[in-house]
Amino acid sequence: MSVSERSAAATGKGESSALARSLRGAVRRNAPGYLFLAPWLIGFLCLTLGPALVSLYLSFTDFDLLQAPNFVGMQNYIRMATADPKFIAAMRVTFLYVILSVPLKLAFALAVAMMLNRGLTGLPVYRAIFYLPSLLGASVAIAVLWRQLFAADGMINSVLAIFGIEGPSWISNPRYSLYTLVVLSVWQFGSPMIIFLAGLRQIPTDMYEAASLDGASSSRQFWKITLPLLSPVIFFNFVIQTIEAFKAFTPAFIVSGGTGGPINSTLFYTLYLYQEAFGNFRMGYASALAWVLVIIIAIFTAFSFLSTRYWVHYDE
Amino acid sequence: MSNFTMDRRRFLGAGLGVASMPLWGSVPGFAADGAQLRMVWWGSEERARRTKEAVKAFEGVNAGVTVASESMGWDDYWPRLATQVAGGNAPDFIQMDYRYMFEYARRGTILPLDQYMGSALKIADFGDVNLKSCSVDGKLYGANVGVNAFGTIVDTAAWQEVGIAAPTYGTNWEQYAEKAAAYGKAAKGKKKYASADGSGNENLFEGWLIARGKSLYKDDGSLGYEPSDAAEWFKFWAAMRKSGGCVPADVQALYKNTIETSPLTLGYTASDFGFSNQFVGFQKMNKPALALTAQPVVANGKPGHYLKPSQMFSVYAKSKAPEVTAKLINFLVRDPAGAMILGVERGVPASPAIRDALIPQLDGPSSEVVKFISALTPYVGSLPPAPPQGAGEMNAALIRISQEVAFEASTPEAGGATLIAEAKSVLKKG
Amino acid sequence: MSDEARVLPGQGSDHPYLRSALSHCLLMAASFVMLYPILWMLAGSLRPAEDLFGGGANLIPSQVTVAAYPQGWFGLQVNFGHFFLNSLLISSLATLGNVFAASLAAYAFARLNFFGRNFWFALMLGTLMLPYHVTLIPQYVLFLNLDWINTWLPLIVPKYFAVDAFFIFLMVQFFRGIPRELDEAAQMDGCSPWRIYYKIILPLSLPVLATAAIFSFIWTWEDFFGPLIYISDMNLYTVQLGLRSFVDSSGTSSWNELFAMSVLSLIPIFLIFLFFQRLLIEGIATTGMKR
Repeated sequence: MSVSERSAAATGKGESSALARSLRGAVRRNAPGYLFLAPWLIGFLCLTLGPALVSLYLSFTDFDLLQAPNFVGMQNYIRMATADPKFIAAMRVTFLYVILSVPLKLAFALAVAMMLNRGLTGLPVYRAIFYLPSLLGASVAIAVLWRQLFAADGMINSVLAIFGIEGPSWISNPRYSLYTLVVLSVWQFGSPMIIFLAGLRQIPTDMYEAASLDGASSSRQFWKITLPLLSPVIFFNFVIQTIEAFKAFTPAFIVSGGTGGPINSTLFYTLYLYQEAFGNFRMGYASALAWVLVIIIAIFTAFSFLSTRYWVHYDE
Repeated sequence: MSNFTMDRRRFLGAGLGVASMPLWGSVPGFAADGAQLRMVWWGSEERARRTKEAVKAFEGVNAGVTVASESMGWDDYWPRLATQVAGGNAPDFIQMDYRYMFEYARRGTILPLDQYMGSALKIADFGDVNLKSCSVDGKLYGANVGVNAFGTIVDTAAWQEVGIAAPTYGTNWEQYAEKAAAYGKAAKGKKKYASADGSGNENLFEGWLIARGKSLYKDDGSLGYEPSDAAEWFKFWAAMRKSGGCVPADVQALYKNTIETSPLTLGYTASDFGFSNQFVGFQKMNKPALALTAQPVVANGKPGHYLKPSQMFSVYAKSKAPEVTAKLINFLVRDPAGAMILGVERGVPASPAIRDALIPQLDGPSSEVVKFISALTPYVGSLPPAPPQGAGEMNAALIRISQEVAFEASTPEAGGATLIAEAKSVLKKG
Repeated sequence: MSDEARVLPGQGSDHPYLRSALSHCLLMAASFVMLYPILWMLAGSLRPAEDLFGGGANLIPSQVTVAAYPQGWFGLQVNFGHFFLNSLLISSLATLGNVFAASLAAYAFARLNFFGRNFWFALMLGTLMLPYHVTLIPQYVLFLNLDWINTWLPLIVPKYFAVDAFFIFLMVQFFRGIPRELDEAAQMDGCSPWRIYYKIILPLSLPVLATAAIFSFIWTWEDFFGPLIYISDMNLYTVQLGLRSFVDSSGTSSWNELFAMSVLSLIPIFLIFLFFQRLLIEGIATTGMKR
């Protein structure tokens, strides 16, 4: 690298003061990192940071989308803490969704990824089929498809009817509707599955070969080789899926038609935020909701990172 | 935040040089002078086709004027428009909705059009009713594009099948309940019901209130009914559910205020409630021939219907060419050269001259809508007081509370009390 | 090397054929469950509009018509082929930028020491946490100032600055799995960080680069909110915007056409997936030799 070579040459001459030398040393140590970081750093400072700070400012205003905002101090945050039952309802729904959907989805994705890793004919086709639901993403067709599965006369109840069970209208019953969205999330397990697959592919096969020669059973191989070597990827999927689940918007928006109903049973946090911002013209309040969510997710993520020393193994 | 809104800029094809790519197509510039308009509406592809054709005709007779149009579905329309308004970059010509008109007009986002009446905008023949229904605080904020009324949509054949006369003009609520219960008995075991559950339908509730001499809101923006009214409404529907006259709670909860989630379209009921401008869409999604009739009346009550615009055409307050935009509006709603192309796709035209000219060319479902609007006259009362800020939240509250009652998480009495309590906090927040 | 050739010792059983037949049965049953809603969508594109919603769980249409395909393709003012080309171009350019920019940043975070590394890393993760609805308007104003409205630039340029932290974090996790002895040895030989990045790290990271490319392409393809806000001219529409033009919840929607075009819109991303999947799988050949 030219920077380090040049710096080395400069210090070699020994004609600089101690201060300049240490400065040069700092530049030499830091320059490569910042050069590689530059595209992201520019994007962050120019494209991401500004809008985020504006939204932080707006959370202290009464911004209604159509008129200029007025500063109102902590009012939005006070209302959230003291006088907003829907905020509590949305919190409840969101936490339940996170707790249920994240572990289920990850367990499913890991199990399928292990199955689809190697050893069978036709694996590329299966992989593609299992990824297909995730391709549907935010398609408006999802609403219709999910009703077709989970309405009173839907597919699920047709199957139950064979066993003589008359199921409820899962998707429109406040007792079950959230669970149909958990199923939707698990059904779209393609992304973590692919990431697990890529992780499994990075585990050198000779490690398994050596273990087999030592007579290790396949479950022992899973616990002693697969899990530890996959732990950085598991950690990644866990953190990302949790953040995504906290922010989940599209499934509830599409399936409940933006209402969060029946009876707030699918009122996800960001769906409520969206209703407040664009339905009720309270962008200021919505911004406050957003920043409270950021704090919640940040605390959660910080704890996840603190936990890594106990279970995530990096090869360094 | 004075720099928060800004003026429109001319499009620059710079950066990456992509503008010169053949795939890019021709990019219409943003208005730099008065002759270039931007226009936006929500709606189907059919609406887009008709509107663009009419706009082309307008460009043909107004040399130098070009119109760039944008269209999308209802759900996407409002966040996008609000974003553009916040950026000071909304289109000159904005399609408006009755409820959103109040929000936008009161915040100074759309322009009062009174100054153009008689000059660019020659719509005096719309009549008082149709001008008033597009006004906020005495000022005209849009041109009525379609006269709309709430009604009952009926699958006549399904009623005939069980030998019960379908509800029609003048059927009162007691008769409606009796018919529905009888239908439920006759169709028992088939999972088919007479009626949708209307307890969470604000339009239906409003018609019922008006017929009883009340209203959703008073002139001062406060609530126009008592807890006992709401409780009685919820009680009526609880009895309907019990008698098997309307669908159970979990079927009604499938309804997301769209045609394809209506229990009628999903095959559960022989009738549902909806706006007249939705009728053509209902017919498209339903195999049996449908009929449109008035909503049930209150025995010895007042007329509960009123006419409101299905949508209206408005002008963005920061438009640089408000007069040309007003001219375009006039062309589309009053000039036969434009209005005949739009047809009745947005609703029945408010101008009698245009309406009369259109009637001969209408097909089945469209002519049913025109017939409905004229047959409705005896059931139509005056325009109720304007909805206050927060009215949208009250609509959501009614749906939620009606579901709490329907799923028996609450009683009709408690539901009525909750609704009024929420109204007090919502309407105060504004 | 193909998948089949790589049956591992220790994973084989006494009855390999029985075992693989069982696996196939299980996988096929699971495939049907995964595919049912998509099959329903395909069926939906083939049945008459008035049969769409009253029919309950019926998968087989009573009457088959392919009319929705030409109607959907040519039904809007601009035909769908145009939208497909637009989406392909946008997604390809976005993918290129994303993989390049994110791998640079990830290399810095995973391998280089510099002042404030943890601080920037935390901030980067922080950008994942803010719901986009509240940054939408300031971002719109920003792009309006740059005169980028009604162009593809807001959809493409940010990717060249790695604004999606997901990809950086993903690559960091994988880069950290590559043995450090390799770049330490290279450093001894006088390799610059840049050489280590593209001679050692990138080749050894083919699986994760393929993964990032798959996601990047597909997510850009599926994104509708960005195009919705920034694009007005129908000639610039993406496939997702075209699809949404069929649905208007306030009135008439063309569901058949929506389903038909949705089915078609899955084909390119499905092919992209199959293509990149090969890279993802081939990655093993190189990483397998790394020790």
